[in-house]
Amino acid sequence: MSDFSVIGKPTAMVDAAEKTTGGGKYTDDLSVPGMLVGKILHSPYPHARIKHIDTTRAEMLDGVVAVVIGKDAPNPYGILPVGHDEHALALDKVRYVGDNVACVVAISEAVAEKALELVDVQYEVLPAYFDPEESMKAQTDLIHDNKPGNVEKDYHHVFGDPDKGFAEADRVAEARFIANEVTHAAMEPHSTLASFELDPHTGKLGRLTVWSSTQVPYYLQHKLSLVLEMPMAQIRVIKPLVGGGFGGKSEVIPLEIIAAVAARKAQAPVKITYTREEVFWAHRGRPRTIIDLKTGVKNDGRITAVKARVVQDGGAYCSYGVVTILYSGALLGALYDIPHIQYDGYRVLTNKPACGAMRGHGTVNVRFAFESQLDELAAAIGMDPAEIRRRNLLKPPCITVNGLRVQSYGLPECIEKIVERSSWKQRRGKLPRGRGLGIACSHYVSGAANSIIRSDMPHSTVNIKIDRDGGVVVYTGASEIGQGSDTMTAQVAAEILGCSLPRVRVIAADTDLTPIDIGSYSSRVTFMAGNATLRAAEDVKKRIAAAAAKKMNCAADDLVFRDDLVFKKGSAPPSAKKDQSEEAEVTQTGASVSGRVEGQILRGSLQQKRKEEGAKEWMTFEEAVVAAIDFHGALTGTGSYAPPPEARGGKHKGGGVGPSPAYSYSAQIAEVSVDKDTGEVTVHKIWAAHDCGRALNPVSVEGQIIGSVWMGMGQALTEEMVWKDGMLMNAGMLEYRSPSSVESPEVEPIIVESIDPEGPFGAKECSEGSLAATIPAISNAIFDAVGVRLHESPFTPERVLAALRAQRRDKALNLTEGVDPTAPARFREHGGALCFKGKGPERHALDPARREAPAVAGGAD
Amino acid sequence: MSLPQFRLLRPRSVDEAVTNLARYSGNVRVLAGGTDLIPSMRQKLFEPEYVLDLRGNAELRGVRPQADGGVEIGALTTLSAIEKSTYLRQHFPVLTEAVATVASPVLRNMGTVGGNICLDTRCLWYNQSLTWRKGCGFCIKKDGDLCHVAPGGTKCWAAFCGDTPPALLCLNAEIEIVGIDGPRRLPLQEFYTGDGENYRRLLSSELVTRVFLPADSADYRGVYRKLRVRGSIDYPLAGVAVVMKRSNGQVADARLAITAVNPAPLLVQRASEMLIGKAVDEALADAVGEVAARTAKPLTTSALTPEYRREMIRVFTKRAVLAAASN
Amino acid sequence: MKKELVELKVNGRTHELAIEPSALLLDVLRQDLGLTGSKRGCDESSCGACTVLVDGVAMMSCTLLAASCEGQEITTVEGVSQHGSLAAIQKAYGDWGGAQCGFCTPGFIMTVKSLLAENPDPSEDDVRAALSSNLCRCTGYSQMYAAIRSAIAAEQQGTAAK
Repeated sequence: MSDFSVIGKPTAMVDAAEKTTGGGKYTDDLSVPGMLVGKILHSPYPHARIKHIDTTRAEMLDGVVAVVIGKDAPNPYGILPVGHDEHALALDKVRYVGDNVACVVAISEAVAEKALELVDVQYEVLPAYFDPEESMKAQTDLIHDNKPGNVEKDYHHVFGDPDKGFAEADRVAEARFIANEVTHAAMEPHSTLASFELDPHTGKLGRLTVWSSTQVPYYLQHKLSLVLEMPMAQIRVIKPLVGGGFGGKSEVIPLEIIAAVAARKAQAPVKITYTREEVFWAHRGRPRTIIDLKTGVKNDGRITAVKARVVQDGGAYCSYGVVTILYSGALLGALYDIPHIQYDGYRVLTNKPACGAMRGHGTVNVRFAFESQLDELAAAIGMDPAEIRRRNLLKPPCITVNGLRVQSYGLPECIEKIVERSSWKQRRGKLPRGRGLGIACSHYVSGAANSIIRSDMPHSTVNIKIDRDGGVVVYTGASEIGQGSDTMTAQVAAEILGCSLPRVRVIAADTDLTPIDIGSYSSRVTFMAGNATLRAAEDVKKRIAAAAAKKMNCAADDLVFRDDLVFKKGSAPPSAKKDQSEEAEVTQTGASVSGRVEGQILRGSLQQKRKEEGAKEWMTFEEAVVAAIDFHGALTGTGSYAPPPEARGGKHKGGGVGPSPAYSYSAQIAEVSVDKDTGEVTVHKIWAAHDCGRALNPVSVEGQIIGSVWMGMGQALTEEMVWKDGMLMNAGMLEYRSPSSVESPEVEPIIVESIDPEGPFGAKECSEGSLAATIPAISNAIFDAVGVRLHESPFTPERVLAALRAQRRDKALNLTEGVDPTAPARFREHGGALCFKGKGPERHALDPARREAPAVAGGAD
Repeated sequence: MSLPQFRLLRPRSVDEAVTNLARYSGNVRVLAGGTDLIPSMRQKLFEPEYVLDLRGNAELRGVRPQADGGVEIGALTTLSAIEKSTYLRQHFPVLTEAVATVASPVLRNMGTVGGNICLDTRCLWYNQSLTWRKGCGFCIKKDGDLCHVAPGGTKCWAAFCGDTPPALLCLNAEIEIVGIDGPRRLPLQEFYTGDGENYRRLLSSELVTRVFLPADSADYRGVYRKLRVRGSIDYPLAGVAVVMKRSNGQVADARLAITAVNPAPLLVQRASEMLIGKAVDEALADAVGEVAARTAKPLTTSALTPEYRREMIRVFTKRAVLAAASN
Repeated sequence: MKKELVELKVNGRTHELAIEPSALLLDVLRQDLGLTGSKRGCDESSCGACTVLVDGVAMMSCTLLAASCEGQEITTVEGVSQHGSLAAIQKAYGDWGGAQCGFCTPGFIMTVKSLLAENPDPSEDDVRAALSSNLCRCTGYSQMYAAIRSAIAAEQQGTAAK
């Protein structure tokens, strides 16, 4: 067991008090003098050409300062360089209900909302596509002209010889799985505040500062520069506290661009905060995925081949789509040893909000299918489902058939631990009917080995500054979004420098102050920003050590930094010798200014005393720092991290997505019961073992494991975006059912530490890898409980009951909605706005169908 | 989403409230706990010129047991207060059970029994923002002239989704309604019209002030079963309330009501007929379930499919009847 | 609409404010009083991030008209820590991982505060039921239970010491 003084101990987050007292500021909590409110006008149609926009009536409303439309900022952008298909506001077409058409800037929310209804937009309605498989057949009215068949991107990968593999198999299973669409629903609705300064030299609008709820300040700075045609150096992006991301803030969200464009036009600071409904429209969640999966195994449990055809309903814009569809294929590898893989992936455009990255990006839905099918095959060959997983373990270090390098691999221990803790062997098969246990595994990347912006720059860079006060300031571009990024950074710096945690202050995610970090997504922060922090701390420590070594008449390499002291290797830590008053002073770092000044005076006299004593046996951290500063001036160190070339994957087309310097592993067992009359599923407990390399902050690691498992459970049981012809039926926290405390089960997190050779202190990711296993673990437990295999998530009571009925050959439960079989299948066919030709006098003044009428006198009301 | 602008009326008495309601009739909404009205106003389902805020009227609060064994509940009594009333728990347990399932604890601190009785009917095509409704071309219930759940229909099918009314119906509750001409009493059963649009018999100048539970409804066993996806927060997707009194192993009296599957909460009269005088067994409970399910007319107004929700009325009825008949 | 003068008593201090009759308590707290601890997470009284105490009872400030709270004692999360130190529940939420992104945390703190005021020694089920008014997307609620247990223990110890 290694001996650490800071890491490895449960540590309250450095910003915990800000959060529990309500003192911490999130973007919507900020205001600046003269700030105006922006409100966005959204498209009522899923697919339409904009014929004309007239903003005059809105502009004339008292309190309205500006109305912004597409041509105010026509440059396209998108998170991926291959997917620049979005505009701040629609230029010529709208592509989903909720697409962004105009933005009103006004003195208050109420005025802005009123003005929105005065923006006259004439649309030419186009046929719309809602189902990906239908959409792929489109010949005309394409969603984007340059995407034939509405296919954003398709990939066809063959590794090994799948035909040979299937020929060798004793059993082959083949089935279609569907995972319905889910979204992040982070508790904080997105918010952006944009403000320009006047340039003293030109006298015109100059530098732009944007405060935004983002996981990726650097990407935001980059895209703002593109759209606003301003140099990046003139744009400062600051990330205040962020109220959860889960991927939903990991790309540039329309309001971030719109706020900046609006601030420019209004020539005043503008804040836009989404309503919850707008958050659902901004979306970027996990796409509905259709998976046709075929797996072959031998009677000894060895997997011989896997073939997957995956269709993702990506929504109207590319977003991260190309990456998502690649992850879905690439992450078939690196969990088990699979000799032959065939993958056909289609990312399809439809007239719905764009899907993007969500916790477990790309892997979750395919993992649900795979682990369910593996369970089925285990039953077919009469093997314990835990055992079949053990039979297919990788033997690292190795490179998988699809080119992924695996070094540390805690999966065997994860399986062992959950089997033991859940008493799997003793209890499985012996529970009363209606109650069951299910097992599944998953994994995830610790950051992508290849950045989405192709360049040679490091993925993370961290600077450290230490001045005479002995305070350590770490500057990192990594974004704290609740996952503990800032705390991890402080811990790593403190561990290396051997100083106490309160001495370290983290300045994060401010593009003016912090070096570039590509952001908080794909679980990259601990591994990459952690490594960069480690290197920056080593860098600065070298300088302190050199100065201290002189004072102590020894070699720098012989020094140990620990507990705010510097002493010679082999000598006892001089804690006993420590001056009491100094101890008190050190723990007061961050106390009042006068306290600090007094401390320095005290320290000064102490130093003087020491000087007279001659060469030292030990020094305090501050003495060592002062010695080094006397030499160098303020100390700075820098460190950066770029994934090694060996970890960057194969050379095949699309091979850049999937490789990671290290993978986390998870194994889970779920215990559920199923009500056979209602189909209701209760999850009693989930045992979740997660290989995180090394747990830098165990309380945070456990929190991340539990949170992932819980979110997976939400997708498994209750969460689903429900669509009717492009209308999102549940765009709110009431109808989009994120689990409440009462139905949330106990999750027992089990930390497994495989100590990765390249991770900071051996650490890997812990925030995403567990999610994917939860859905199949629950599905497999349902199978164990009542013998039905579910192929569509979420496992709502009606889907479960329908499956139970089919199994019992009972009266079928018809899950089609219409009670009237002659009723039109699509609501727009029977009166949705798209084809309404009526003229009812009762119709609301805002009804688009009424726009045909000669005049809408008197405006909104 | 901001609220539409309105003037706030804060009457100090029921008389003053009713006078105000009459004066601004048609242009005023009554605010009690606000848990239904405020979100609806954000969605611009209501844009009244005046809002009449009852919160300050203490006279409308309280659970008051009567000498005859009945009980009177002020309309402004919060659902939490009802949940915590030991008197009601002891003598009218079906109400306590139903109340305890409404929304979430904090919402029950705000929501009132009068509000739950007057709850607006709900539909996925109606309880949406103005922008959203623009996208669907509006509907009969608000701003439009078509129905999205019953295509071609001219009637609104928005579902009544209160939890307490089925329990109150089982208890033969009456309500007091005060208008400009003074108070009147109405059996709760007659309060609902069965039409999703104009779902209640209440003039815009009237106020529901009290709920009466008659003495002869006291001390029935009571059970409430609610279908919802989450264990909290959710409105019911289907609900069944049962009260039962037995003697010598047979049902002496029973009533059953369902909610969230029709535009009104409904007493299932036939269920009483089937149960009274019988000993409850699986087969009888099954049969009652069938009848209740046939009374339910769920449409696509809520999450989960109508077929499933009707099926759950059957299952929950059976379970509730068996539970009420068990010791 | 013309603004009206109201007197609001928040965290023990009385403020005279000119507000619109349609102003929600949440907006007045956040915008007029700068008490941004209470959060807006939804628009339909579902998420609980805006929970405050009104005369000691937990309520959603997004669903209350500010004007109708006149004369009542309002406590927000900013009024929870006292004498310059964290309340036991705040400290425990930090120590046990009860707060991750922190956005829902003020609402939870208020809900727990009202729970413990009413029931100083709640069972696990009591806690679970009480927390069901508030949604959290980060924690899966588990670590909150540990935090609440620890806060209760700390309170009991504190009381015993006195």
